[in-house]
Amino acid sequence: MKKTLFPVPYYQNLFTKVRVNAPVFPGVPLERERDTAERAGGIHAHVLARFGNAQIGPIYLGFLGVASLIFFVIGFTSIGWNMLVQVNYSPIEFVKQLFWLSVDPPSAKYGLQLPPLNEGGWWLFAGFFITVSILLWWARVYRRARALGLGTHVAWAFAAAIWLFLVLGLFRPVLMGSWSEAVPFGIFSHLDWTTAFSLRYGNLFYNPFHMLSIVFLYGSVLLFAMHAGTILAVSRYGGDREIEQIYDRGTASERAALFWRWTMGFNASMESVHRWAWWFAVLTCITGGIGILLTGTVVDNWYLWAVKHGVAPAYPEIWGPIIDPAVAK
Amino acid sequence: MAQTRFALIAAAGVLASTLLVGCERLPMDTQQVGYRGTGMEQVTNPRIVAANAPRHVAPPVLDPADASGPRASQAYQNVKVLGHLSVGEFTRTMIAITNWVSPEQGCVYCHNPANFADDSMQTKIVSRRMVQMTQEINSTWKNHVVDTGVTCYTCHRGKNVPEYKWFADPPAPSAGRMLGNDFGQNKAGKKSVGNASLPYDPFTPYFLGKDEIRFTATTALPVNAQVPLKQAEVTHALMIHMSEGLGVGCVNCHNTRAFAEWSQSPPARVQSWYGIRMVREVNNVFMVPLTPGQPKERLGRTGDIAKVNCTTCHQGVNKPLNGAKMLTAHPELAKPAGAPVRTSALSELPLSLIKPAN
Amino acid sequence: MAMLSFERKYRVRGGTLLGGDLFDFWVGPFYVGFFGITTVFFTFVGTALILYGAAIGGTWNLWQINIAPPDLKYGLGLAPLKEGGLWQIITVCAIGAFGSWALREVEISRKLGMGYHVPVAFSVAVLGYVTLVVIRPVLLGAWGHGFPYGILSHLDWVSNVGYQYLHFHYNPAHMIAVTLFFTTTLALAMHGGLILSSTNPPKGELVKTPEHEDSFFRDIIGYSVGTLGIHRLGLFLALSAVFFSAVCIVISGPFWTRGWPEWWGWWLRLPIWS
Repeated sequence: MKKTLFPVPYYQNLFTKVRVNAPVFPGVPLERERDTAERAGGIHAHVLARFGNAQIGPIYLGFLGVASLIFFVIGFTSIGWNMLVQVNYSPIEFVKQLFWLSVDPPSAKYGLQLPPLNEGGWWLFAGFFITVSILLWWARVYRRARALGLGTHVAWAFAAAIWLFLVLGLFRPVLMGSWSEAVPFGIFSHLDWTTAFSLRYGNLFYNPFHMLSIVFLYGSVLLFAMHAGTILAVSRYGGDREIEQIYDRGTASERAALFWRWTMGFNASMESVHRWAWWFAVLTCITGGIGILLTGTVVDNWYLWAVKHGVAPAYPEIWGPIIDPAVAK
Repeated sequence: MAQTRFALIAAAGVLASTLLVGCERLPMDTQQVGYRGTGMEQVTNPRIVAANAPRHVAPPVLDPADASGPRASQAYQNVKVLGHLSVGEFTRTMIAITNWVSPEQGCVYCHNPANFADDSMQTKIVSRRMVQMTQEINSTWKNHVVDTGVTCYTCHRGKNVPEYKWFADPPAPSAGRMLGNDFGQNKAGKKSVGNASLPYDPFTPYFLGKDEIRFTATTALPVNAQVPLKQAEVTHALMIHMSEGLGVGCVNCHNTRAFAEWSQSPPARVQSWYGIRMVREVNNVFMVPLTPGQPKERLGRTGDIAKVNCTTCHQGVNKPLNGAKMLTAHPELAKPAGAPVRTSALSELPLSLIKPAN
Repeated sequence: MAMLSFERKYRVRGGTLLGGDLFDFWVGPFYVGFFGITTVFFTFVGTALILYGAAIGGTWNLWQINIAPPDLKYGLGLAPLKEGGLWQIITVCAIGAFGSWALREVEISRKLGMGYHVPVAFSVAVLGYVTLVVIRPVLLGAWGHGFPYGILSHLDWVSNVGYQYLHFHYNPAHMIAVTLFFTTTLALAMHGGLILSSTNPPKGELVKTPEHEDSFFRDIIGYSVGTLGIHRLGLFLALSAVFFSAVCIVISGPFWTRGWPEWWGWWLRLPIWS
């Protein structure tokens, strides 16, 4: 018997035991010959073969992708350059302080005007270039699906994420009349922004759209664990060949469906489970964006809003009446 | 195959150990602050507390002095603040101050040895003002220091200059440049703000200036003037300083589900409110006016004098010197001469309301 | 009889862990099994106690109902029923129910000739719950450290425990866990979208193949993990997210008592640049 890391009675299909060497697959031919020629590269990385496909590339380098990359590099570099100057061009300090460095949006006094470059102008510059880069990338995802005769579901899921991104960096700051409300470009600084946002608006846990978004976020993780576990559990029947199982239901789909029916009383089908998945992931971003958009514009303090609507629990008073000293004077 | 597996496991083990090296170990002390289940609890590491304990021990008390006999203002010249004490009491106070502030240099740190009365040394001017400051803190600010009070030792701890203080920052080098603005935050390693990338000087607006610390809306719907988001970050920075300075978490003073609500906050928040105002008075009325005449090495990079924040007295514990009541042995520091005894609103609350629930 | 069109042939005996044929039957679409009985028992008792807790709690408002753990002073002992004891018994019922559910999933997997991946994955989630209400409280010496059972009240607990560390976002395990949560959701959107896009092409088009799926992702990002690989990846991401979540809370308190931003000091003090 082969020795395994953990004692198991039989193979669990977690890592591929027999890894096949095959020529690089150039991809399904595209309609126009010159489009197929836009694909570049294609190698095998055998370290990946135990887990998934070993082939890396070819990648499609069309106009949209190249333009997106150019815009991204400009935006990304401007952030990095600002950070480098913050540490006086020292590369060692750059690496050391990286997580703390940041490019911040302008202060509130500038409203929606264009501030001086070093007073938040660089944030606007980088934000603009990165946003254009993301929109170009969205167009690329859409185009590549159409070119292959696929539906555009991935692009529309991406659109939900872009909605959240734009709410945070564009729509809400505009509605609030100030770029200062937007998220800074920095690792710790964007986390400081998250906390400041919750502190400023009376505890975001009490925002019902925040609650919904978290339900969908946790639900997405739950669903992927459920679905992926199920497919792996029936992979011995070809469960991972999901397209074929959808148009020609085999014993893999049947067992998968029955597992859940017998466990919780209802089930999805091989196709509909992917609709559950798509909607949970997409709704995470949609409801999240709505929750952010309503904050500060429609509701100024979510805790007080919850109290008003009878949602906030009350706890017994264990200290005497505590009075605000500023008022008690 | 087996080698790769072994290498992977070994690497994972090394990585885990590296990250764990930074951690502490069990057992921990816990204290409940709020109603059960609210999560309002303090967790402290008894080994860290014990290791720091020697730093928070009050020095031995001097034997009481003879209160009879001529007053110090009669026996000596140029005694402006403590003249009402007897000569014995006055000398005892001077010895205590020397022990607390200049144990190495002795009397000559402030006094001209040829003429103890003259004011030629800047340190004598400063220390006279400091005695007045101590009396002011212990009388006007009983809402914060209650009956425990402070002495010179609370801040100085045997050093000429207290170890914990703050200075203003020089303008950032990015001012006037095309890029690289750090916006007064986003710097690594700032102890003032507990190593977060929050604004690293919350002291100038709040402990020198009187900027409004509050930023939360008082209504559910936006009817009042909008407070910018950055305000929350500056206040958060101040609050982190307070937490670090006192060695407590946020729940010491707040129920964080509704930070702003006083009715849900533990009593310590009231005490802290007075503490902030006390620090403002100390800095503006006592410290800043002492700037002229200070030698260069005592000043900050912008030429400002050292100023006080929470850590100056608390030095990392909730009650400075773990609550040692040094003032009992030095009533001359409890209030200015001739001033009435004041009680605080706080000292009228039953003790059970001031101490956290156990 | 609530059976799917193909279901009858799968309803065979066998696969049970305990009880043999005694509980090997279905009620409607639900499989029972020995662990179905224990699940129902724990669920019934636990729910009844939750309802009792709500009744003595002073409100039936769904959002405000709160069943709180005991005061810390009771340590690891049993508290009086109305002073947190109820919470303790409900927790025992919850763990009993979750454990039963997992073992029932094992029985169903065995009956259907499936791997145990789903009950194993579920057990990771249960481990997260057990970390919060058993492991961390035990390490800290009191059941009172568990989170309260209430929709908004459990969020208040999260807020207060988080702020004990001044800025919980700086917790490195929390950062990893959050990243894994977002990455899992991203991967799920991509996978769901990909399958739907190949089986729901534009009008008039044929249903597509895995070669199309691979080509799509190779075209846009240069790599396609494949039909089997995406399920391995999804399971790995999801379970890692839950694992690191459990890690991030179990270290907060038992293995770190200071502010989390302060933890990052070790990086700044590395000899190579300090």
